Amino acid sequence: MNPGSRVLNIALLLLVSFIAGSAERLTVYTVNYPLAYFAQRIGGEHINVVFPVPAGVDPAFWQPDVRDITAFQQADLVLLNGARYAKWIERASLPRRRLVDTSAAFRDAYINVSETVAHQHGPGGVHSHAGTAFTTWLDFSQAIEQARAIKLALEKMLPQYSDVFTRNFSSLERELGSLDQRIMAIVSQDRDKVFVASHPVYQYLTRRYNINLETVMWEPEVVPDQAQWQSMQQLLRSHKAKWMIWEGEPHDQSVKRLNASGINSLVFDPGANAPEKGDFISLMNRNIMELEKAYRE
Amino acid sequence: MTSSFYIAWHYVIFNRVRSVTLVACITLIAFLPFALQLLLAESQQLLQSRATSTPLLLGARGSALDLVMNSLYFDDEVPERISMLAADEIADTGLGYAIPLYVRFLARNYPIVATSIDYFDFRGLAIADGRMFTLLGESVIGADVAEDYGLAPGDSIVSSPETLFDLAGIYPLKMTITGVLERSHTPDDRAVFVDLKTAWVIEGLGHGHEDLGKTNDSSVILKRTEDKVIANAKLLQYTQITTDNIDSFHFHGDASVYPVTAVLAVPHDAKSATLLRGRYLDNTQYHIVRPTEVIEGLLESIFRIKTVIDSVIAIVGLATVLAIILVFALSVRLRQRELSTIFKLGCSRMTAVKLIAAEIAFIVLASSVISTGLLAIIGANAETLVRMLIFR
Repeated sequence: MNPGSRVLNIALLLLVSFIAGSAERLTVYTVNYPLAYFAQRIGGEHINVVFPVPAGVDPAFWQPDVRDITAFQQADLVLLNGARYAKWIERASLPRRRLVDTSAAFRDAYINVSETVAHQHGPGGVHSHAGTAFTTWLDFSQAIEQARAIKLALEKMLPQYSDVFTRNFSSLERELGSLDQRIMAIVSQDRDKVFVASHPVYQYLTRRYNINLETVMWEPEVVPDQAQWQSMQQLLRSHKAKWMIWEGEPHDQSVKRLNASGINSLVFDPGANAPEKGDFISLMNRNIMELEKAYRE
Repeated sequence: MTSSFYIAWHYVIFNRVRSVTLVACITLIAFLPFALQLLLAESQQLLQSRATSTPLLLGARGSALDLVMNSLYFDDEVPERISMLAADEIADTGLGYAIPLYVRFLARNYPIVATSIDYFDFRGLAIADGRMFTLLGESVIGADVAEDYGLAPGDSIVSSPETLFDLAGIYPLKMTITGVLERSHTPDDRAVFVDLKTAWVIEGLGHGHEDLGKTNDSSVILKRTEDKVIANAKLLQYTQITTDNIDSFHFHGDASVYPVTAVLAVPHDAKSATLLRGRYLDNTQYHIVRPTEVIEGLLESIFRIKTVIDSVIAIVGLATVLAIILVFALSVRLRQRELSTIFKLGCSRMTAVKLIAAEIAFIVLASSVISTGLLAIIGANAETLVRMLIFR
């Protein structure tokens, strides 16, 4: 065989294997970053994970256009968070057969929130957190259940890779379990520690890890107005918090003024959208290190 | 022989009324059984092809025929409603997947078929023009709907109120048409498809209106408390869903108990189908049916009726033939003078027989031509006629 035809044969072989490989790859759309991360970890090279929400936008309040919804309609699998996460789903037409509600297993454990103040931050538009608390993955035992639902859905669609999915899931389960145990251990150091949170997104975190936390409605990038400071002072009279948990990097002025009142700041990013650096696990590790600061005090 | 036909032709023309009556009688007797056969064959084909492509249907206990006719052929006899939980239950069994159907409302006399977009994959329906509906308030129409009203993507279609005096109930919803389906020669050609949620908006379970927290019109507020604002009936609800107001649309209550008329169950295989049917055997709320069995039952009834009609036609046919023989026998008696003149002119008895045979031949030929023509028309329009007579 001459070198030319050998190169041609190799190229053909690669092309055939590429076509065969890509033909089997499932296209999986997700509504938030944690689900995209879990799906990628479990599905590996056998799936093509698409998380279409632009950086800097809260996926819970993202407004997809017709093209985005059409792409969701054509996906092989659509991973939903459940707990009424991503309001746009209620107004969009999606293929029921290909939808996976990843939190269906713990539907009875959803937390209802009665907060009704509408507010705006980022490009997501005015919104309210009333209804059902939806950052389910911040309870890492629930995150494991969500990952398990993804694994089961992938196994159903690609049973030939069941072993791979089981192996990948076990690895992810261990890591999530480790995060869970770390927070448990940290919080157990001081059960009386109290916190204030800048946004009502930590309901499942506080329930799982028994954290004493009250919530205000502040935006990290916006300096609170006088009324917000006053209501904070009022809250602190009954809730002696020394730490404030922010969902994003807070404004310097807010941090300084809080410091002056004897309140420190820490960032616990829920990670609904993809982090600028690292991945879900590294982001949660950073969050836990931040939390640890409060307990080291 | 030519002269016999010549004279017979003129005799037939001269006695127009008698000839036309005879032609009409023979035509009817020849045409009716064949036309009936054509229509029945067409209806059998239409009913069975749709039924065989639908594995199982779940609905409220009651008439299986109403359930099948409404869900498969979009008949306006609406079966008792069930909740979306039924669809979830089927999906939860892992034995197949479920496609909910809510066929209750009309738009321009065409049924609004509310379903999930899985329906289009299941039926193999493709979009000929435009795109699939993606949002609340959007619709995709069948080829006949588009053709009959000259509708195209970008146009709108309005849902019809169920009753004229339903002032407090269902408001018409103006729906944007986003696509037209390729012709499938099935009832899908004559339907307006929407997402289930759009049907629930038509029903009033979901609605959009001005933000009560921001309204300046105090006359629409009935009661305002710290955490709740209650509006009165003056509050204007949107009758069209647009990009500007879609965010205001919301649903009240638990969507999992919202109504549907049927659930199309698609089991993975024959074993799953059997298991699925077994699960609903003793269910007091739902029943699961195989549309082929229901349609076979219907066709058996139709064919039993056809046998009766065939017998009646045979008796009437025999009576008509006897009447025609009588007419000709009497006409021979009436024409005694005419025949004796023929004999006096030197014609044989055979010539007289030839004359009468030629007259009968003309009448039978005319009847055959008319019957064949009518049958050709029926054959060409059998599908439309069956839809008109049986489905709607």
